[in-house]
Amino acid sequence: MLDLLLSQAANGLVLGVLYVLIAVGLSIIFGLLGIVNFAHGAFFALGAFVALTLVERFGWWAAIGAPFIVGGVGMVVELSLIRRLYNREPLIGLILTFALALLIEALIRVIWGSAMRPFSPPTLFSGFLIWGPVLITRYRLFVLAATVAILLGLWAFFAWTPFGRILRAGGRDAEMVGLLGINLPAVFTWTFGLGCALAGAAGLLAAPLWAVDPSMASDAVMPAFVIVTIGGLGSYPGAIIAGLLVGIVTALTIQFAPQASSAAMYVLMAVVLLLRPRGLLGERWERFE
Amino acid sequence: MDHASSRLFVTRRQAVRGGAALAVAPALAMPFVGDAEAAAPLKIGMVLAKTGSLVDQSEYLAAGTVMALEEANNTVLGRPCQIVWLDEPTPQAAQQNMQKLIQEQRVIAVIGGALSSDALAMESVAGRLKMPFVITNAAAREITGRDCNRYTFRLQPDVPVQARVLSPYLMGYGRKWYFITANYAFGQDIRRTFQDLLKAAGGSVVGDDQVPLGTPDYSSFILKIREAKPDMILGGIVGGDLSTFLKQWNELGMKGKIPFAEIAIGDTDIWGVGPEAATGIFTSMWWYKNPANTPEEQNFAAAYLKRHGKPAADKAWMGWIGMRSLLGGIELAKSTAPAAIVRGLESWRTKVGDLEVGYRKFDHQLVLRTLVIETKPKITDKWDYFDVKAALPKTAAELPAVFGSEQEVGCHMAAI
Repeated sequence: MLDLLLSQAANGLVLGVLYVLIAVGLSIIFGLLGIVNFAHGAFFALGAFVALTLVERFGWWAAIGAPFIVGGVGMVVELSLIRRLYNREPLIGLILTFALALLIEALIRVIWGSAMRPFSPPTLFSGFLIWGPVLITRYRLFVLAATVAILLGLWAFFAWTPFGRILRAGGRDAEMVGLLGINLPAVFTWTFGLGCALAGAAGLLAAPLWAVDPSMASDAVMPAFVIVTIGGLGSYPGAIIAGLLVGIVTALTIQFAPQASSAAMYVLMAVVLLLRPRGLLGERWERFE
Repeated sequence: MDHASSRLFVTRRQAVRGGAALAVAPALAMPFVGDAEAAAPLKIGMVLAKTGSLVDQSEYLAAGTVMALEEANNTVLGRPCQIVWLDEPTPQAAQQNMQKLIQEQRVIAVIGGALSSDALAMESVAGRLKMPFVITNAAAREITGRDCNRYTFRLQPDVPVQARVLSPYLMGYGRKWYFITANYAFGQDIRRTFQDLLKAAGGSVVGDDQVPLGTPDYSSFILKIREAKPDMILGGIVGGDLSTFLKQWNELGMKGKIPFAEIAIGDTDIWGVGPEAATGIFTSMWWYKNPANTPEEQNFAAAYLKRHGKPAADKAWMGWIGMRSLLGGIELAKSTAPAAIVRGLESWRTKVGDLEVGYRKFDHQLVLRTLVIETKPKITDKWDYFDVKAALPKTAAELPAVFGSEQEVGCHMAAI
């Protein structure tokens, strides 16, 4: 039994990192822009479909372009729509991003059709490995490695680059950053693009594992919101810890009470919020107080 | 009265003429209105998903439905006929849309119902508002069982029928089965029915997972299945969930190791998995490459391919045959009166191979053979995924037992 539990935990870890990638983008957008982006799942689905087209036309190597294209779409959306939401009622943002999610899903249906599309992992990553009690597929290992690499790159970007510092500072006190002569609207555009690109990257990585259809967003967006809430709104490390926790708790629940597997993350969220209402690593942010 | 004043005042003669003209006008206008009504197209309502995860299947159902009407030159009873299509996003909205079709669009019949919960909701409207309703996809047993009514007709055999057809076939693979079913009505029905049949045949359940709808990762379930080492996996997961499961089943190296079987799938569910990962033994109502297809079905498949640039899925055929039955029923009725259409549908028959196929009188279930299909060992074509293994039951005499007796089905219809 212990062997099976170890195997389940390893699988849960991979599911968790995929959730982390979706949730981190959501967290970055909320942290800096203060927008709860209901369209995040739609950008995730868009990433999968753009990757599908790139792979079909140019081969697997071209799939790396998918997050950049989705990020670009996100920047256009920020310039044309999201920008109008700053300093307005949060409810307007919720309604607009919800409508945006429906619009993107409809556009995916128009461009790619409503049918589910086959999408297999590259042959390089087919097959699986068995290490003692742990069985894991090569593609899941690749997903794990790719996500860790993206998260490390993101951390380095935030910690060591001037632009990363501006993003962090803008998240805490946008007005002060603006007074220092920094073009904050441009920063907002890049931030929204970055969040969407992360959703697109998650869509690309999930496509060979999940059914690729226009409504796949719904499977991604709820766990992402739960993770952001558990980790603490706007907290980047919090989202990572929460994502891994959700993945492992879900996998272990499947072992003992499969019917409750999708409810497990909500129970976890309720417990965390009861003990720490700000989430695991949620901080006191002046602008949201 | 001078000439000028005569222009302002109406003379007695003019008044009499005017009055007569007014009296005659409606009578003169009547034939025109009557002609306009005769020329106005008859409307058939179609309620199928335009949004959500069922859109894929619904598009095929709708395309087949439209093609059946076009084959009839868009006419019925010698009058032009058109389809009015509304969405079925939720059971409540499907009900409202059906009411809208009946009360605002004045349709003469309704066709559709992709999901069982929507179909059941619409069925109650059909019974209450006395509207002929042909359900082309939903498979819940209650539709032609406990909740049946005189105005509702159903195409797809329900879960017990398909289970009775498939389970003897599957017993050949072994009698230790693992169940993985969606935790809602359809999945629970599959689980209950197949487990009863398995136990009656002396088999055993070595695993039984009820899976929440929309589960994105099945790897943990697959690890449990791998550990349990069953002879057969019996699935009850639908649409995108089934595709996700089969993708991950293949990813974890399980394809070809343990056979997977499920009933009432759609071709699109398996096409979406891709040739590398697709695997399984399934029941289906129709397969476009079945050598036993009738010449009419072959013509339909060819016309569909020509028009849409891809083969007709089983759902397209279901829309097509459903609409053909409805149009045939209306023609037999020689009237658009709901009660007459119901009697027409009850009398409608078509020939499929050696079978005279039609709706059963006591529950309005279409009675025909079910195909057992299996994915090809090596899939080389983008669409040609299946081999037809059997059309069951073998003889027409076995059909009543497979479809269940009046007592077993439990349908009690009121008079029209």
